[in-house]
Amino acid sequence: MKRYLLLAFALLFAAIYLFPVYWMYATALKTSGSIFKYPPELWPSEPLVQVSRVFAEHDIGRYLWNSLLVASGITAITMLLGTGAAYALANARGAKANVALFLVIVLQVLPPSLMVTPLFVAFNHVGLLDYPRTAVVLATAAKTLAFYIVLCRATFTQVPRELKDAALVDGNSHLGAFFLIILPLARNGILITSVLVFLQSFGEYVYSRSFIATRELQTATVNLATYLSANSADWVGLMNYAGIYVAPILIVFILLQRQIVTGLTSGALK
Amino acid sequence: MLQSGLVKYLRDGKGFEGTLIVAAVLYLLVFAAFPLIYTVVMSFQEVDMFTLGTLVRPFAGLTNYTDLFHRPEFAPIVWNTMIFVTLSIAFQLTIGFALALFFLQDFPGSTYVRGLFLAGWILPALVVGAVWRWIFAGDFGVLNYALQSLGLIDGQIYWLSDPAYALYSVIIANIWLGIPFNMILLSVGLAGIPGDVYEAAEMDGANVIQRFLTITLPMMGPTLGAVVALGVIFTLQQFDLVAALTQGGPANASNVAQYWSWQMSFQTYEISGGATVATMMIALVIVVAVIYVRSVQREQSF
Amino acid sequence: MNVDHPSMNQIEIEHLNKNYGSLQALHDISLDIPVGAFVALVGPSGCGKSTLLRTIAGLETITSGTIRVAGEVVNDKAPRERDLAMVFQSYALYPHMTVEQNMSYSLRLRRRPKAEIDERVGEAARILGLEKLLKRRPKQLSGGQRQRVAMGRAIVRKPKVFLFDEPLSNLDAALRVQMRSEIRKLHKNLGATSVYVTHDQIEAMTMADLIVVLHDGRIEQIGRPLDLYRRPANRFVAGFIGSPAMNFVPAEVTADGRTIAIGTGTLLKIPRAQEPGRKVLAGLRPEHLRLDGSGERLTATVDIIEGTGSMTFIEARIGSDLLNVAYAGTYETEAGAPLTLGIASDDIYLFDPETGRAL
Repeated sequence: MKRYLLLAFALLFAAIYLFPVYWMYATALKTSGSIFKYPPELWPSEPLVQVSRVFAEHDIGRYLWNSLLVASGITAITMLLGTGAAYALANARGAKANVALFLVIVLQVLPPSLMVTPLFVAFNHVGLLDYPRTAVVLATAAKTLAFYIVLCRATFTQVPRELKDAALVDGNSHLGAFFLIILPLARNGILITSVLVFLQSFGEYVYSRSFIATRELQTATVNLATYLSANSADWVGLMNYAGIYVAPILIVFILLQRQIVTGLTSGALK
Repeated sequence: MLQSGLVKYLRDGKGFEGTLIVAAVLYLLVFAAFPLIYTVVMSFQEVDMFTLGTLVRPFAGLTNYTDLFHRPEFAPIVWNTMIFVTLSIAFQLTIGFALALFFLQDFPGSTYVRGLFLAGWILPALVVGAVWRWIFAGDFGVLNYALQSLGLIDGQIYWLSDPAYALYSVIIANIWLGIPFNMILLSVGLAGIPGDVYEAAEMDGANVIQRFLTITLPMMGPTLGAVVALGVIFTLQQFDLVAALTQGGPANASNVAQYWSWQMSFQTYEISGGATVATMMIALVIVVAVIYVRSVQREQSF
Repeated sequence: MNVDHPSMNQIEIEHLNKNYGSLQALHDISLDIPVGAFVALVGPSGCGKSTLLRTIAGLETITSGTIRVAGEVVNDKAPRERDLAMVFQSYALYPHMTVEQNMSYSLRLRRRPKAEIDERVGEAARILGLEKLLKRRPKQLSGGQRQRVAMGRAIVRKPKVFLFDEPLSNLDAALRVQMRSEIRKLHKNLGATSVYVTHDQIEAMTMADLIVVLHDGRIEQIGRPLDLYRRPANRFVAGFIGSPAMNFVPAEVTADGRTIAIGTGTLLKIPRAQEPGRKVLAGLRPEHLRLDGSGERLTATVDIIEGTGSMTFIEARIGSDLLNVAYAGTYETEAGAPLTLGIASDDIYLFDPETGRAL
């Protein structure tokens, strides 16, 4: 009995915590008149699905596409450079490896809003700002790469060392042992970490805001922020926009919740 | 011969793993370490719209720093940043710890419900900011309504436009964002304390509160250290929320250093000023990061 | 062993040194392993036996020296180029492959024809009794079955050399004894050179043709099992080989050089004359101490007695020295009772107290 009481409390806490998410979708279903009722309606009395109207009005597809492109690029670079490095750092011992790992951890913590100034000036010099989305990808990948290496390294340390030895004796090169034995065994951890990187990049704001001047190339975060400051009374439109934007993130999260929690807890502190 | 030697080194020797590390480290050096150094350099130069395109800029000595310290908004923003970090962490940690302890109890679905909280962590901070902006709305906001129903306030609070409340609004939203991460990390730490230690303490006659004070807290020491350090790091990274909620306003009432630095560089084009703030903040973040790494190493040996 | 005919040796190691930074793990190791021999590397944990095995496998680089396999220097060769198979302590089975895939992996890497692979895997499975398990994954196997798969993975390759890194230490006692004789039988049938690392001297004694005793990264002695037992080169080997371990008692050679005096002044005749007045360490094996007092006689008091029925172990006291006695059979006495022990003069070992060398 006590266990179910605890469960009831747990659900209550979760409900209170997740109220903002609920409020976003509840507002999205209201009419523009009913949101200005006071006291507010906790449940939309005349729910109205306005998703497609808002989607078309604000050309959300274009900005989501830009976000998707940027996030894919970031994830690709991160996986490409990060997987091998995480593996090597999981194996390596000694002073040099410690220095590399320390460097990775420290570079992970630099706030983007502070790094953006020098990056902007440097990118401006080399002409990268003419390719603003690429600039965003390159800058953000430096941040996600460090995060990815730290988490993936934890995954690789869980693969027994003797498996690599066995593969080498069986006839693999270091390259072969990595691809044929180690990688398949670390696959789940790598995929989950990549999903996390993707979700993070999908909501990236600072670099996109600072590097992308052309409206057509903006990501959804930047566009939503612009809309937010320009039409701060159109809460129905804004909450629909926000709701559309985070829907894929929430779906992925619900599907992979268990693995995400495990992935985070196994590597986050190490 | 030389070529086949190289191929062999890469496939069979130490070269393979070395190359993998070097590739990633090089990328980080170019896109993270170089900008880091470049910020420091720019904080000693005159950089504005006119010198932006040139490589050699006039050396400014400490002028950028002295100018910055003499600005009227300098002291309030430093103060705001301190309040922002301290309150955010204090509440994230307390609420996160309380939830972690709660979910440590054995009941059906505890892991799953605990996982639901991570939704707050995974959402883009800018979107979270937009939603909170609507919750904070003065006349029709749901927060004012809730507080009035509970009898805590009488009139409306203009959370975002009243200078007395703006900073605290950003802090509240930031606490919301930080709770799940704190909770998960502390849960991991709590799970690492072996159950028989508690049983031994119970046999020795310690009650629940004594067990918490004498077993849980001391054994969680290193984890708490790591979580606080990470909290400082993440809080000093928080930019999106400020951008979505108040843009530092009204009149810098809710401005914090990391947003101010960006404002100077990208809105008022005082790039040296932005770089100077960034340099000081980055120095702070690196100190905290070193504390964090130390504390993690201590935890692993324990 | 056979330095005059290098072609008779499968593995030759000369002046091998291995450093980890400032730490030297192996000191000037020289060792020849004849073709077809079963050689055990034995020593306490941390003695460098596994490191030595891994340098032979190519999993560890060496700091200096040479390693030859079949007459060819392999110092710079990758493990895959050395044609050695290895059985690991944790078995190191690939968790994402079935038993069959685990066993055939090395052959597939070498691109052997499918028919040959199937035949070799089938044969190995038959020898090891794994036919019914071929489609299973390692997770679904018991410890003993995993051990067999690890063996099978080595057998299918028909390698020049088998390397074993404590392969039985994760098995329970009964299974360990069974696998011991199975590995021995396999070696007899396959005839391939085997190098076997173990910390268990009984395993080494029962399985090996040749034992290499290592201690602190140095070779203490190389020899056939019974030679090590009968003629240990030094105190370490004497104490390590044999169970229960040899007793060591401080003693002094008497004026005629023919006897030694131990603690209470008891005189024991020694096999070979020594320098009179010399301080020595006398080594007495527990199983050589007789309870009938025949031979050289020692008078002691019983401290502790433990009987298992077939064996009786007595801890006896002579003055301040303790002696362990192992008696095959049942013997009844009690703590505090007097005990007259005897030992054959030929069974008394003498060691230099400083260097530990046998005298």
